[in-house]
Amino acid sequence: MAVIEVKNLTKEYKVNKKGKGLGGAVKNLFLREKAIVSAVKDLSFTIEKGEIVAFIGPNGAGKSTTVKMMSGILNPTKGQVLINGKDVAKKRKEVVMDLGVVFGQRTQLNWDLRLGESFELLKRIYRIPNDRYEENLRIMNDILGINEIIDIPVRQLSLGQRMRGDLVAAMLHSPSVLFLDEPTIGLDVEGKYAIRKFIKEINRVKGTTVILTTHDLGDIQELCERLIIINNGELMEDGPLREVTERIAPFKTLVVEFYDGETVEHEKAELFYHEGNIAKYRFPKADITAAQLIEELSAKKEIKDVSIEEAGIDDIIRIAYQGGNEKI
Amino acid sequence: MNSIAAYFYVYKIRIQKSLAYHYDVYGNILMQCIIMFAAAFFWRALYAGETVVQGVEAEQMYIYTVISTAMSVFFMNDVEQRVMRSVEKGTIAVEMLKPINLYGIFFFEDLGKLTALLFQNLIPILLIGSIFIAVPKPASAMAFLLFIVSLIMAYLIHWLLAACFSMWAFVTINMTPLLQVKKHLIRLLSGSIIPLWFFPDWLASVLNCLPFVYIYQLPLDIYIGKASMENLILRLGIQAVWVVVLLVLFVVLQKIAVKKVMVQGG
Repeated sequence: MAVIEVKNLTKEYKVNKKGKGLGGAVKNLFLREKAIVSAVKDLSFTIEKGEIVAFIGPNGAGKSTTVKMMSGILNPTKGQVLINGKDVAKKRKEVVMDLGVVFGQRTQLNWDLRLGESFELLKRIYRIPNDRYEENLRIMNDILGINEIIDIPVRQLSLGQRMRGDLVAAMLHSPSVLFLDEPTIGLDVEGKYAIRKFIKEINRVKGTTVILTTHDLGDIQELCERLIIINNGELMEDGPLREVTERIAPFKTLVVEFYDGETVEHEKAELFYHEGNIAKYRFPKADITAAQLIEELSAKKEIKDVSIEEAGIDDIIRIAYQGGNEKI
Repeated sequence: MNSIAAYFYVYKIRIQKSLAYHYDVYGNILMQCIIMFAAAFFWRALYAGETVVQGVEAEQMYIYTVISTAMSVFFMNDVEQRVMRSVEKGTIAVEMLKPINLYGIFFFEDLGKLTALLFQNLIPILLIGSIFIAVPKPASAMAFLLFIVSLIMAYLIHWLLAACFSMWAFVTINMTPLLQVKKHLIRLLSGSIIPLWFFPDWLASVLNCLPFVYIYQLPLDIYIGKASMENLILRLGIQAVWVVVLLVLFVVLQKIAVKKVMVQGG
């Protein structure tokens, strides 16, 4: 059953058009021209129970706006989001009991309280029964080691510790859907590792559906079975990581080491990197095989060593962020 | 929805936190006492040679000063700063997403702070005032009872005004200067320092139409026994009406604010 259904989701903002210079500023005082900016245009997709889905896209692409609308923080201009069959904008009060939300750059923990006190308050706000609260805390302590920092005031926590606290806070009431907006932003390697482990474990143990936005390649590689790429407020790609790779980056890279700094060209491969004796060729899988390319290159010039690289997640991101129309 | 447990927890924890901070408490006692002494000397100078001015004895005026200073402890809310901080940090939308009324949380935080302040500020101020200025005896036992009733309503009026005012945070970026203006206007227009009977008649009648006089002036009048019982009961009624009016205004503004956040994003 689909946990989340997004139908024709659209968000438009009215912004004041600003005139340029002094004349424009004076004019603005009396006459305000409104312009309509679409942040999200007609998005539709569904997410099944237990999926981990990553939203990627450049800054300002509409990822966060989409997640905000999905989690009920923002009302859509058109369209709707259903979570467990309930319209988020209309039945907000019911839906929030089943949602966990973490915004990486903004903590929801109360600055003045100790971490444990923040949890106690949430327990009362969400009316979590004692045994479930204890059990959730125990599970999350096993994954994140939260007990070490439970008595520290939130204002004194490091970013990584605070992020761990925020994750626990979002999961205390056992929501079936967890929204994470850039959960690993600014964290060190260990912090990122802890967060990813948490997401995987919570998904495995509790079957929580996780939706996250990220710019971190590691997050996507380690966590996501499914990728949704958004650019200019539109859905560009939606599918498993492998399929998306095949679709938008159907090429490989051949790294060649020559005996000297001279290189040779090939009509079916693009020479995109050259330094010292090393040259890198990007070639479409459909047009030519790696073996053929090596053979034809070595016919032109003697080769010392070769290696082949698959198109990686960074290629996908690069192409997708450029609008997907880059030629290879 | 039953949110009592959450509210009570917020109340309890706020008392604990407030009791842990000492320095701003001493600072406030000092500041309030300076105002209290200045006012007391002012009245002494004004009453030089006179026993009764505008139907009020000098002794009553000293009591007025001490109680007015003590009452200021009730009007030290944080609700505006809390909302401002949340809007600034951009967490207001997520906080509103929680299944509880955010302003309910703020109200109980303020009540918690007040409870701590009763011990930390109110008692020291009353002691200092009693020793150096005048022992603040109420006009009668009945007056004291009515004073308590009126003080509770005064607290609600002041808090609701602050809560309504806090919604400005959704519109303006920095409202700290506005808050300062509001704070001093209330002190001036509510009779906390200079009672209304010393104001020109026209100004006094204007002020009587505003809610501010029901914050300080009315409870103080009751305490020192100024004006007849009928007059006081009538004004208590008006005070109650103000509580209701501001409550309605608050509910309406809150709806508008939530809608604005939901449409424009937090």
